[in-house]
Amino acid sequence: MLRFDDIELNNREPVYMQIAMYVKRQILLKKVADGEQLPSRREVAAQLSINPNTVQKAYKLMEDEGFVTTSGNQRSILHIDELIFSRIDDQLTRDMIKGFIKSAKGINLSFKRVVDLISELWGDE
Amino acid sequence: MIELKNVAKNYGLSALGLYSESAIINTGEIVGILGENGSGKTTMLKAIMGLCDIQYGEILIDGRPVFEQYDRMAFITCEGSYFPNMTPYEYGNFLAEFFPSFDMDRYWNLIKFFDLDYLKKIKTFSAGQKAKLEVSAGFSKGAKYILMDEPFLGSDMFTRRDFLKLLVSDFREDETILISTHFIDEIENIIDRAIILRYGRIKADFYIDDIKNQGKTLADIMTEVKKVLSKSKT
Repeated sequence: MLRFDDIELNNREPVYMQIAMYVKRQILLKKVADGEQLPSRREVAAQLSINPNTVQKAYKLMEDEGFVTTSGNQRSILHIDELIFSRIDDQLTRDMIKGFIKSAKGINLSFKRVVDLISELWGDE
Repeated sequence: MIELKNVAKNYGLSALGLYSESAIINTGEIVGILGENGSGKTTMLKAIMGLCDIQYGEILIDGRPVFEQYDRMAFITCEGSYFPNMTPYEYGNFLAEFFPSFDMDRYWNLIKFFDLDYLKKIKTFSAGQKAKLEVSAGFSKGAKYILMDEPFLGSDMFTRRDFLKLLVSDFREDETILISTHFIDEIENIIDRAIILRYGRIKADFYIDDIKNQGKTLADIMTEVKKVLSKSKT
């Protein structure tokens, strides 16, 4: 079962979006698989000490985006196929790069300087 | 649903409670009633509970006045609504007789959870223990509307955490919770919505997710509300 054990909530973004993002990351890192169960909404609310309505909102968002399905008995499971995986992969990668570009521009770095630095430092990490 | 329609309350000429305020609180919401000391938080909660007369306006709960449905309401207050000379054991028995939907199992679980001595008189408890007893009783009444006025007063950080965990894990969709507190950071992820009062007026009323989408925190908004008012005074 997917666990929210190492999620760290910040107070800048809506919590329901942070939860959905956490699940997407787990999918991208292949820490979870298709068909895996999610804890109940009540369990997540208690574990993270957050509003149950917020958890419901997060589950709804994930259902709308297609990677969580909820059956009649209220149990939610992950639904990951190739299309969904590549969409999440694309979204998260782009978001990460966009954030990086934004902060690079924020300190007036030129494109060339950034690319040079990436080439130089890539192997270090 | 709780409806406040132009509710006004003052305490003589010297103190203002609420100044003609209106609001609608939907069923299933957890709402923070926030503001500085003397801003009208307690007045608002007591007015909804029917614990104080209002001079003007109307308050309806699911379309009916509160005095027709006290059994659906619970008020948890830092002032304490227990009888100090009773033990938690005696108080539980009293509540069970008084409230038809009182859940004794739940009450005992909470007393155990908070590690309270059920054979000691409540008046001998510390402030934190009294708060725990108050919460145990309030949450066991089987009420649909739970109003809490500074339930954390005198409680340490661990007690507050335990309490909030309890609150979210037990919350049901058909319940509505109003909570006034100064512990803004600790309830930021618990409440759906915040109503900020200042000098008896509702100065802001918003959903937490909406302000997060604007990149703001609850503390940011509270600071803004304060600034706007200080500016308009000068």
